[in-house]
Amino acid sequence: MKGLALTLMLAATPAGAQVAADTPNPFDGKADAAEAGHALFGKMNCAGCHAYDLTGGMGPDLTDNSWQYGGKPGEIFHTIAEGTPRGMPAWKGKMTPDEIWQIVSYIQSKHQ
Amino acid sequence: MRKILLVAGLMCAAALPVLAADAKSGAPTGKSFTGATANLAPGDAPGQWTRQARDYSNTRYSPLTQISRKNVGRLRLAWSFSDGQMYGHEGAPLVVGDTMYLVTPFPNIAYALDLSKTGAPIKWVFQPNPDPRAIGEACCDKVLRGWAYADGKLIYNLLDNHTVAVDAATGKEVWRVKLDDVTNGTTMTQAAFTVGDKVYVGSSGGELGTNGWFQALDVKDGHTVWKAFTNGPDSGALIGPDFQPFYPWMKGKDLGVSTWPTDAWKQGASAPWGWVSYDPDLNEIYYGTSNPGPRVPSQRPGLNLWSSAMFARDASTGAAKWAYQFTPHDEWDYDGVNENVLLEIPWKGARRKVAVHFDRNGFGYTIDRTNGEVLVAEPFGYQNWAKKIDLTTGMPIVNNAVHPIVEKKVENICPPDIGVKNWNPSAFSPRTGLLYAGVFNSCMDLTNHIVQYIPGATYDGMEMVRKAGPGGNWGEFIAWDPVKGKRVWSVKENMYVWSGAVATGSDLVFYGTMDGWFRAVDARSGKVLWSQKLGSGIIAAPMTFLGPDKRQYVAVYTGVGGGAGVLRREKGYPPGGNTLYVFSVDGMGIGSGTTQLVSHAQVAAPLSVPPAAAHN
Repeated sequence: MKGLALTLMLAATPAGAQVAADTPNPFDGKADAAEAGHALFGKMNCAGCHAYDLTGGMGPDLTDNSWQYGGKPGEIFHTIAEGTPRGMPAWKGKMTPDEIWQIVSYIQSKHQ
Repeated sequence: MRKILLVAGLMCAAALPVLAADAKSGAPTGKSFTGATANLAPGDAPGQWTRQARDYSNTRYSPLTQISRKNVGRLRLAWSFSDGQMYGHEGAPLVVGDTMYLVTPFPNIAYALDLSKTGAPIKWVFQPNPDPRAIGEACCDKVLRGWAYADGKLIYNLLDNHTVAVDAATGKEVWRVKLDDVTNGTTMTQAAFTVGDKVYVGSSGGELGTNGWFQALDVKDGHTVWKAFTNGPDSGALIGPDFQPFYPWMKGKDLGVSTWPTDAWKQGASAPWGWVSYDPDLNEIYYGTSNPGPRVPSQRPGLNLWSSAMFARDASTGAAKWAYQFTPHDEWDYDGVNENVLLEIPWKGARRKVAVHFDRNGFGYTIDRTNGEVLVAEPFGYQNWAKKIDLTTGMPIVNNAVHPIVEKKVENICPPDIGVKNWNPSAFSPRTGLLYAGVFNSCMDLTNHIVQYIPGATYDGMEMVRKAGPGGNWGEFIAWDPVKGKRVWSVKENMYVWSGAVATGSDLVFYGTMDGWFRAVDARSGKVLWSQKLGSGIIAAPMTFLGPDKRQYVAVYTGVGGGAGVLRREKGYPPGGNTLYVFSVDGMGIGSGTTQLVSHAQVAAPLSVPPAAAHN
């Protein structure tokens, strides 16, 4: 029931809504979120630029500690949702906020 | 011991038929290994270098002989120039008159340098300010492979899908045309190629599900004279009654549609991002096309024409004359974009007009360019994907052990996606009859993943682990006999040899390595005669020219990057860079010696206070 409430709350978040840099990842502590993010990372073609092991290629390495647009969960969410002026597409509208947070979880899992 | 010496002596004698110098030209005399020759039109003055490959045939051969096998060991830096941009540097400088033209990778800034003055100062700078969104859409670094000169203009492609023409005298923009939209994944990295009143340009985006095209623009104002899509209906590909491919499996209506699943050709990429060559007698151009999209073959059953292929087209109208697909239903991202060097070879008692093509798939093809018949197709490096190319059908006999499987690792496929050689252009010497090419020795373990098409995102699906091939060295520099389809010699290198090459009238060949060595080798024996370590890795093509002082120089850009970045985690891979190095014998140039000191050095002024007093 608690889980359902959380899902409803997240689903109510409008796509692409502003997320502050310090916003915590609502999926923190949920073991299956990173796995779901892993699947999305392949399905949404993130791996084509950032590599299947996230070490980069066409796009930046996501496993190091160098972040052009900030490495806090809320900043990573914002980068994925809004894209970047240097050509990363904006993914809001193509993925739900929950899905974006799950990808954030997957990236976070490579930094533990 | 004596026996060894004798054997060595015989080998030398075989490799160097005659070593005596020609008293008139200073060029060494020596026989051709193969009898192959080339049309060196447009026949520029020997000291000029006005197009990327110097001639229409794409030989990268310079007749200059001042720098010889005798004095090449005395090459020293004459001057250098850093352009400040850190993406991979892939093009060769052009020298037109007393001016050198350079263009950087993104943001594609052009420089004109005045060769008539000491240190070659900047004459003008042109900043086109391309759209930075293109950065995220370019698959293999944010490169530019070259630039062109025609009709008093410097003409080149911008990463954001514009072609721009700049007044070569003033650096002012003359025209700029938009050819595609970056948001669909298309970019432009190709080296524009000019012939007469046309400039030929092609799209990039093989990994982004684009719809590849090639077009001829008018040099005067940039308007499109003709445009040919690679795939799709014959009408869009300019395939009509003139189209006569040699092999039956490439004949038929709308094969660019029917050899794909329904509508899949629209995201089939096949982008012509490589080199263009031109035969003035046939008035035909030749160019190759990229891999099909997506890179996962199970998502696109069929031959996938006209991906990983080459076209011969009427240069004036674009009408296709013939095509040949090097890797049907390309399963490994082998592309077909590498250079086509146009030669004439002796063949069964007659002369044949051919295109020589080192494909990424590892086969060196010698193709009759009048009709598309493959005369020779032999491996020029290590590969295991095909047992051979069947010359009766033109089809490869594919090794069943290397077909990719979705979600399963297939080990030891050779070569990996980047090939046995990539776009890095080879050189040909009409004196030796040989081609010279940097090649790769590597394999991959490949796991494929199903992908969906999302505009502007990658359409890829290959997860790879690349590793060095047999022997453990990643690279080599080779001499190739295009008639027999055999190597004549090779120099092993630690990393991929991803630079271009230039051959000279004094039987020297220059190339660079990814770990930063610039070398001169004997064109006949492959013996390394000179090496200089430079500031970054070399993936650009070297060139040579005569300065206004009538002195011969050799120039090469450093700045590793581009596709070579796949080795960025290997030991010895250097940091990036952006310096053009220009060499001459003893480093001499305009203003060298005392003249330079007087005009450019501060003269020490005597101290007004005696040194002893200053110490108090």
